[in-house]
Amino acid sequence: MREQLEQMRQQAIAAIAAATSEEVLNEIRVRFLGRKGELTGLMKGLGSLPADERPKVGQLVNVVKEGLEEAVELALTAARKAATDQRLATERIDVTLPGRQRRLGSKHPVTLVVEEVSDIFAGLGFSVAEGPEIEHDWYNFEALNFPPEHPARDMQDTFFVENQLLLRTHTSPVQIRTMLKQKPPVRIIAPGTVYRCDSDATHSPMFHQIEGLMVDTRVSFADLKGILTIFTNQLFGQKTGVRLRPSFFPFTEPSAEVDIACVICGGSGCRVCKQTGWLEILGAGMVDPEVFRHVGYDAEQFSGFAFGMGIERIAMLKYGISDMRLLFENDVRFLAQF
Amino acid sequence: MKVTYNWLKEFVDFDLSPTALADLLTMLGLEVEGVEQIGGGLDEVVVARVVEKAQHPNADKLSLCKVDNGREILDVVCGAQNFKQGDTVALAQIGAVLPGDFKIKRTKIRGEESCGMLCSEKELALAVESTGIMVLSADLPLGVPLFDALGIKDTVFEIGLTPNRADCLSVIGIAREIAAKLGTKLKLVEHTVSEGTDPVGNHVGVTIAAPTGCPRYAARYISGCTIAPSPVWLANRLQAVGVRSINNVVDITNLIMIELGHPLHAFDSRQVAGGQIVVRKAAEGELFITLDGQERVLKADDLVICDQQRAVALAGIMGGQNSEIKDDTRDILLESAFFDPPTIRRTSKRLGLHTESSHRFERGADIGMVPMALDRAARLMAELAGGTIAAGLVDNHPAPRQPISILFRPQRCNEMIGIQLTAERMAELFRNLAFGVEHTSDGSLQVDIPSWRIDIEREIDLIEEICRLNGFDQIPATMPVAAVISDRPSRHQQLQRLVRDHFVAEGMNEIVTFSFIGPDGADKLGLAADDPRRAGIRLCNPLAEEQSVMRTTLMPGLLDTASRNMSFRSLDLRLFEMRRIYVPKAGEELPHEPIWVAGLFSGARFAEGWCQQSTETDFFDAKAVLESLFSRLQIADVHWDAENPEVYYHPGKACHIFSGNTAIGTLGELHPSTQAAFELERTSYCFELDFEALVRLSGNRQPIVPPSRYPESVRDLALLAPLELAAEQLIACVRGLRLKELKTVAIFDLYQGENIPAGHKSIALRLRYRSLERTLTDDEVSVLHQKVVATLTKKLGVALR
Repeated sequence: MREQLEQMRQQAIAAIAAATSEEVLNEIRVRFLGRKGELTGLMKGLGSLPADERPKVGQLVNVVKEGLEEAVELALTAARKAATDQRLATERIDVTLPGRQRRLGSKHPVTLVVEEVSDIFAGLGFSVAEGPEIEHDWYNFEALNFPPEHPARDMQDTFFVENQLLLRTHTSPVQIRTMLKQKPPVRIIAPGTVYRCDSDATHSPMFHQIEGLMVDTRVSFADLKGILTIFTNQLFGQKTGVRLRPSFFPFTEPSAEVDIACVICGGSGCRVCKQTGWLEILGAGMVDPEVFRHVGYDAEQFSGFAFGMGIERIAMLKYGISDMRLLFENDVRFLAQF
Repeated sequence: MKVTYNWLKEFVDFDLSPTALADLLTMLGLEVEGVEQIGGGLDEVVVARVVEKAQHPNADKLSLCKVDNGREILDVVCGAQNFKQGDTVALAQIGAVLPGDFKIKRTKIRGEESCGMLCSEKELALAVESTGIMVLSADLPLGVPLFDALGIKDTVFEIGLTPNRADCLSVIGIAREIAAKLGTKLKLVEHTVSEGTDPVGNHVGVTIAAPTGCPRYAARYISGCTIAPSPVWLANRLQAVGVRSINNVVDITNLIMIELGHPLHAFDSRQVAGGQIVVRKAAEGELFITLDGQERVLKADDLVICDQQRAVALAGIMGGQNSEIKDDTRDILLESAFFDPPTIRRTSKRLGLHTESSHRFERGADIGMVPMALDRAARLMAELAGGTIAAGLVDNHPAPRQPISILFRPQRCNEMIGIQLTAERMAELFRNLAFGVEHTSDGSLQVDIPSWRIDIEREIDLIEEICRLNGFDQIPATMPVAAVISDRPSRHQQLQRLVRDHFVAEGMNEIVTFSFIGPDGADKLGLAADDPRRAGIRLCNPLAEEQSVMRTTLMPGLLDTASRNMSFRSLDLRLFEMRRIYVPKAGEELPHEPIWVAGLFSGARFAEGWCQQSTETDFFDAKAVLESLFSRLQIADVHWDAENPEVYYHPGKACHIFSGNTAIGTLGELHPSTQAAFELERTSYCFELDFEALVRLSGNRQPIVPPSRYPESVRDLALLAPLELAAEQLIACVRGLRLKELKTVAIFDLYQGENIPAGHKSIALRLRYRSLERTLTDDEVSVLHQKVVATLTKKLGVALR
């Protein structure tokens, strides 16, 4: 019995050593260690041994069994690794082939700028307000302190529709609508579509603006400068700040044109900034007391600032677009770049 | 407004380069939009002397000169005759570039070498016309650039004035600003007159019949003038600021207008009957021929200057042809008046007659400038035209300006601007502006406004002056101290972004088209005559017919865009637009402006690639994009109704989309005739969605259920169904059973053709059963599945295959 056991063990070890594949090793395992395998067969002979021999031989059988199991397991691990190595050594793809192509969509640059500007101002506590594009003269001009004879109120500049209505020429009427609806504090921006009778390389009869308005008990011109400095630094990612220049708008006083250091040349002077080093991007100012009077705010109690910018202008600077008409031609070869 | 550096220097002392001056003006709110050098780039034109003048051997009209430029003697061929040997002349040397981009080169003229050109005033843009070359004063140093030698180098600033600053439509106005900023004094030009003995009253009388339109009218009488071309300095000065020289008298009135900002008018006194000026309103329908030869029909609101019989000028706008200065004019009636801005503006606008004069009067001239402008002009006329000024002036001033005085609170100014200036400093700034200032007992300032600052009426206007003069660059950048407002984008705003993001993620390009379209858009879509979308709002003054109607649908803009792209061979399109449409509402003040979304698919389904098929996109690509949008928006109970599709879609490949009973949009293949009308090269699939409806219906979230821990059983079902049976009905029928364990039903195959009876189709469904509580046995699943099969066959008349 002992000899048989030893003989079988040696056979098994030899078979394991000779095996080259997982498959053969599994067969070996079944042949020697399986339920109907040779070791099981040998164990049937245990009963015929004398009683004092049985435990010793039984123990020996277990030792042989464990030894063989371990040997098969080791060989299997080695065989699997060899098989994997073999497979990996032969499989190859051309990783330089392009991936499965998907179409990338794009937002229109006007939308991108509106969203970015809205996000920056959201971070400063401004919410988004909206208003109609087909508007009353009163909201578009009268309440904003445009005198009746102001050239902007002319057919040359403003699109009119029947019933005393017009296409708003700026987003400023949203200021009026907002202030008529609520009491201070007010902190809004109003992105929107506006219209003027103008069409050439630098003017489109339809374009977009973003208006801003803040009214509270102690808002100063210096605060306007602070807010716009933060805004332009975030939008154009630079630390050069802004330059305010005196200007004139009927609905603000004092009024300012706001310049940023040229984003193309950094202020040293180039064609885009007409050698001035500055780019005009905004109009702004303190809300005129006349406007407060129209909306029923007490100009002695409240002060506020307003600002407005052309979205196309910002998009053109931000993305280096030279011709405004590209924005409305909607050529997919242009749009797909955003 | 154009003004030159040297001219400004006559009114104010400053030690600034032209660049520094431009910067100072811009930062005062007088934006310098352009800077131009006079005589710049002409340094190669130098003073020279003709040392020898001889006849050209091969040309009668040419002379051969030897010219000394101070360094060498050059040979120059010249065609002019108006000079002689020894004269000092202007020599354009080789390399000079004269106005009009005329380059001077070494050349041979009729066989004789010429190393330069002797110049005329015209060639140097110093005069509009000239005969012969310039003959210069003999004491000019040879070899020095001509413009330096003559002292006419100058810098012209083009200033973009804001409409409130009428006071800066003049050299004196801009000089005042410089003086105020620098804290220096304005220098007044000489305007004293030496009068003759003949009293003005013998020649001129003024009656103002319309004092509202003309609150002040002054006049002088200058006799014995000689009308002649202006001296070079005067013509040059006017030319530098863009005014054409006409003759000495007219040029003087223009010079004063630019210099002092006050438009004047010179009448030929022969043509003013009795020398009696009457300022009155025109008669309705009165005819009047202005200086430019145009006959004007006047209205009762227009203001005219008349003599005893007829109108001689359109007040403040343009003189009459009947009284203009002629070559033989001797005696001049010179007007200096102030006219009411709205009156001038209305007339100028109605007649489309915009002049330098009307430009100033309609913005508001300085009523206080009337006598000074008159005197300075009279003085120059005596000087330059040899006239004699009659003694005294007529100054009819029926409506003097009420002086304006404003209470100013320094504290309020500091708070409003965010600066810390003392009341004393503010008072100083006001004085620099020539405003009168008095301190009041409560620390405020009482500020008197001079007549030229018609833009200043309120305290806020003074605050602006302090802010401006102290310098916008002196304002700190601070952050406002304000209450926290709790706010976030409205649902409407959030969903706008979500919907855009969705379509972009689906590979679509967003377009932005004009809100106004052509009226033919409705025709090209084939809309019925009574379709409400034909009733778009029309512009009264469109720029073009194709931009004349506010759109009631996004389709025409979308299809035009697709067409344009296809014409550039971009055939594989995925476009969307998300914008407002404009819907008139009877009985409401304003039209509605709801946001809609429209999209278009055409061409290849996938981008080109080595591992993907090149198949054409179709209806179901578009539909999938919408289905996923509806899921994302959590819009429940969506169904696709093929009844009565829009006329611009293929009648068999289109639908209306509903959620419950609410219409939310349309989807379909474009009708071939629509495709043709918009000249689309490819079959296109379009959709339109009512974004406002989507917002209302969104957020209908189904309860969240935990995933089952037990295995699922999958059963397939092949059905033979009549062709007209809609897939939606099959699914609805199965779902109608409300089997708790039935998790999903999917259609995984659709087949028509061989082995399928005519008028039928084969549809294969895959049903997945699973319980949340335990593993379902085969028998349990079979019972459920049988129920499904039985219901389908009974209710829909389908058969198992």
